[in-house]
Amino acid sequence: MEKTTVIKGKEQRQVLFRLLSYTKPHLKTIILAFVLLLVTTVGDILGPILIKIFIDDYLSPRNLVFEPIFALGAAFIGIQILNVLVSYFQLLKFQEIALKIIQQLRVDVFSKVQALGLKYFDKTPAGSIVSRVTNDTEAIKDMFVSVLVTFIQGAFLIIGIFIAMFILNVKLALFCLVILPLLLLIMRAYRKYSSIFYQDLRERLSQLNAKLSESLQGMAIIQVFRQEKRLRKEFADINDQHYQAGMRNIKIDGLLLRPAIDLVYVFAIILILSFFGITSFNSPIEIGVLYAFISYLDRFFEPVNNMMQRLSMYQQAIVAASRVFKVMDETELAPAQELNENRSISAGEIEFRNVSFSYDHKRDVLKNISFTAKPGETVALVGHTGSGKSSIINLMMRFYEFERGEILIDGQSIKSYAKDELRIKMGLVLQDPFIFFGTIKDNIRLHNQNMTDKEIEAAAQFVQSHLFIEKLVDGYDHQVVERGSTFSSGQRQLLAFARTIAANPKILVLDEATANIDTETEEAIQLALAKMRKGRTTIAIAHRLSTIQDAELILVLHQGEIVERGNHQELLAKRGLYHKMYLLQNGLEDRVEDVVG
Amino acid sequence: MKVFLDLMWFFKQEKKAYLTGIIILLFVAFLQLIPPKVIGVFVDHIKNDTLTAKIMLIWIGVLIAAAAIMYVLRYYWRIMIFGSAVKLSRQLRNKLYQHFTNMSQSFYQKKRVGDLMAHATNDLQAIQQTAGSGVLTLVDSLATGGFVIIAMATTISWKLTLIALIPMPLMAILTSWYGTMLHKKFHKAQEAFSSLNDKTQESVTGIKVIKTFGQEKEDIEDFRKQSEDVVQKNISVARIDSLFDPTISLIVGISYFLSIAFGAKYVLNEELTIGQLVSFTTYLGLLIWPMLAFGWLFNIVERGRASNDRVTALLAEKADIIDEENSVEIVPSGDIEFNVSEFSYPDENVPLLRDIYFTLKRGETLGVVGKTGSGKTTLLKLLIREFEGYNGTIQFAGHPLFQYRLEKLREAIGYVPQDHFLFSSSVAENIAFTNPDAEIDEIYEAARTANIHEDILQFSDGYDTVVGERGVSLSGGQKQRISIARALIMNPEVLILDDSLSAVDAKTEEEILNSLKQNREGKTTIITAHRLSAIQHANLILVLDEGEIVQRGTHEKLMLENGWYKDMYLHQQLEELVEHGG
Repeated sequence: MEKTTVIKGKEQRQVLFRLLSYTKPHLKTIILAFVLLLVTTVGDILGPILIKIFIDDYLSPRNLVFEPIFALGAAFIGIQILNVLVSYFQLLKFQEIALKIIQQLRVDVFSKVQALGLKYFDKTPAGSIVSRVTNDTEAIKDMFVSVLVTFIQGAFLIIGIFIAMFILNVKLALFCLVILPLLLLIMRAYRKYSSIFYQDLRERLSQLNAKLSESLQGMAIIQVFRQEKRLRKEFADINDQHYQAGMRNIKIDGLLLRPAIDLVYVFAIILILSFFGITSFNSPIEIGVLYAFISYLDRFFEPVNNMMQRLSMYQQAIVAASRVFKVMDETELAPAQELNENRSISAGEIEFRNVSFSYDHKRDVLKNISFTAKPGETVALVGHTGSGKSSIINLMMRFYEFERGEILIDGQSIKSYAKDELRIKMGLVLQDPFIFFGTIKDNIRLHNQNMTDKEIEAAAQFVQSHLFIEKLVDGYDHQVVERGSTFSSGQRQLLAFARTIAANPKILVLDEATANIDTETEEAIQLALAKMRKGRTTIAIAHRLSTIQDAELILVLHQGEIVERGNHQELLAKRGLYHKMYLLQNGLEDRVEDVVG
Repeated sequence: MKVFLDLMWFFKQEKKAYLTGIIILLFVAFLQLIPPKVIGVFVDHIKNDTLTAKIMLIWIGVLIAAAAIMYVLRYYWRIMIFGSAVKLSRQLRNKLYQHFTNMSQSFYQKKRVGDLMAHATNDLQAIQQTAGSGVLTLVDSLATGGFVIIAMATTISWKLTLIALIPMPLMAILTSWYGTMLHKKFHKAQEAFSSLNDKTQESVTGIKVIKTFGQEKEDIEDFRKQSEDVVQKNISVARIDSLFDPTISLIVGISYFLSIAFGAKYVLNEELTIGQLVSFTTYLGLLIWPMLAFGWLFNIVERGRASNDRVTALLAEKADIIDEENSVEIVPSGDIEFNVSEFSYPDENVPLLRDIYFTLKRGETLGVVGKTGSGKTTLLKLLIREFEGYNGTIQFAGHPLFQYRLEKLREAIGYVPQDHFLFSSSVAENIAFTNPDAEIDEIYEAARTANIHEDILQFSDGYDTVVGERGVSLSGGQKQRISIARALIMNPEVLILDDSLSAVDAKTEEEILNSLKQNREGKTTIITAHRLSAIQHANLILVLDEGEIVQRGTHEKLMLENGWYKDMYLHQQLEELVEHGG
């Protein structure tokens, strides 16, 4: 569960300023929006003043001259219409700016995520990374679109109203200033309590949804283990806590939101009426001024209400933004390469020289690994789960940085090649080939738009996958659904082969490529593998020893060390770990006893 | 407005709260009329020079009292009405959850988890809004609107009221129209956002592929394009959204203009006082909200109705597999007799199982092998009564399965599914899933038998390590072994391993099978597997192909027959034989 924390004053401001720094490229549009806003505000303020002039100069003294009155009326209507147009564009502009800013933020954080090392992905659940890129930025968008814009517009209007008030009657305007600290007080109180309660509500809601989603996914398990009643109870408890949190929010909103603001509104009316009442005992009063003040008050509180209601969004957005910035400041970058643009891999010889490695800097998962794969040869890695096979590949693919030992390609340190060179020359087939949303073609081509359909089909043909692809609806244009779950794992594997072969690498890396596939498909895969390996240096991990019997070198790993090495025959002759594994895998436990005993 | 009728059961249930809330709302609507009235009175007194300190104090006293009462009442109707709405969503959510737990697996085959989640979140939200804001808006806009109009017409001037109201309906119509358009555009924007979300999800989970092929730049470019689409869709939302405020202020402005223009005429004709005119315009201010609210109401109610219909339809779905009347309350223990001539999934015509006849004596082990899709898992699902509707009978301890209470039947079965699903809680809680009060020793024991104890001790927090979706990620083999431990802790009459050893290596598989042999002494075990070594020791092995038993017998017997089993076995041995024979 992601804990949402409340961020304190200073840090909050830092986050806000950092967010605001994203407005820089849009300075011109922002200035335009502000000018438009200024125009609308002036328009809003002018209305009551025109009515005031009408009341005091014409209506009260019954001074009915047609022309000025007509002019007043025309001005009033004119201002209204102009205001509608200007304020429409003003509102739109502000939203556009906000959306563009968020897009930039999104692209920035996404680019950052792409630049991070796999170490980061190991320690961070995928869901939470996705949340940073989309949901959190969405929360920030909400803040820009509604909170910030509302605040700016509200602040303009409030300032405008006060200016108008000061022009109309300085003394009364001074009195009205009392309202401000009162409102600020309520706002502060609301912000303080609602941020706590609202946070709580959101957390409960996410717990509730997590519980629900998990229960739905695991419903078969719940039912077969007949835990329905217990889980219903657990869910009802969380639901009840969510309800309580909801009630607390309703209460705090009821105490400090609209009802409180309405109270201040009546208080302000009392203030104005008293002022005019008391003044009227000594001197005449302009009714129009009173009208204008009352009418300003009516407008005054709407933006205040709006601002109050959006305070919680602000809080949320700041929390979201601080999480986004945390990702942007993440230092767990992908391993860097030395800048050596021209060096290229030609032969494809791979050498590990005394490589030791640890993910957590505590326990070594690789200890003094040394071996050489000559150009065109296959080196197979076998061993128990956790013996370090995948780690070797992870280092070779530069997914993780290593400090001890050296990996050499064609005699040069792997760190000295440009990243692009490594990616082009080394093809990795993953244990679980990831199938992207899109067509079969898209999945073979990936983002390489230069690849022609012919090349795609040739690659598919080469690895025997065209047989199943051609049987699909629309063939190569078949739309993959749900991460390719409609394909068998063997078919997915063949697709991954095609993807790798299409990129035509010099070095082939197979990560548990042949695990979990039924025997029939495996034969097709074997055939494809044999073809793929021809002329390529290959490093292969295999669960099934049968797939790597013709490897030039087999390394048997155990707890991060190479305990046996040699080809299939040699290793079998040794009657060591490899031999045992081999016998076990073929269901010959009795003979294992012979060997051990 | 039909949705209010559909929700009547709830309004009846919460009669007291709703009635109190509505009465309070009416009071508030009435009290709201006081300040404009007082303003008018003041203006007239000032204008006519009749204001005294006493009059002033009285009216200010009235205002203070009204304000204080309104504050309290406004607080309480919120508790009453919004509180009830929250209660409704709690109630429906529990009901849905309970319903979900009752639904059979065929239901989950048809529905997607994401859609079900959407019902339980978005739809409930919309219903809650209808029962809260919807009711409020309906009552309040009618009450406030009605009271204000009555006050304007009776205490000031009905003619002026009519004139001032002319533009108002336009506001309700326009805002309601904008609302509908906004909803559509918003929906598109949501879709764009969710596809951006999917894209991100894909890039993050497929990060290894992207890095492998060095396509970070291209992927970022793709992301930029999609996020641009989100911007465009949101801008079309903004285009509608920005219409609201200007429209409202234009219409209100015209209304003000009309009232001042015509009001002034009436003042000059001495049909009105200036004070009344000021009151009138303040009343007009009070009308903005009910008009807006009416526009909203239609949108809230429309969405609420659609959501309520969906949730009602969902709740009306019947479970396929239910307890028979007179079902027995015993946990079955004994022989299993399978006599199924044909079975196909509901709504599918292709039979998945045909002519499956076998008897498994209590304490024996059954092995089921065959290609993927040959019907191995389906066979197991019938046994645990996840599906029904087959021709024939399945007897357990002398009675057909359906004669047992579902709960009792399943108490006899420890099932380890193919997709090893773990819950987001500690390892210990996951293993003790069927019995949260299990002693820690029992948990250790189950974990040892499943050969995962040592692994668990290596985890950062041992048995307290949180696993599952939101916990540490485990290897497939570790997950499989934890789910085996979860089934073992029940010490079930029948243990079912549905290809549950596929992700563990040969050595671990052997160890698990050995410890199971001791642990399951005298109890029935059913194992399906790809790897024949997992079922070699079984008392009876069934070879399935396209839903039919093509071979049956013990390992030794099957090895004497020519067929799939021997072929497969030989295939797995082929290299070994070549090695040793040659």
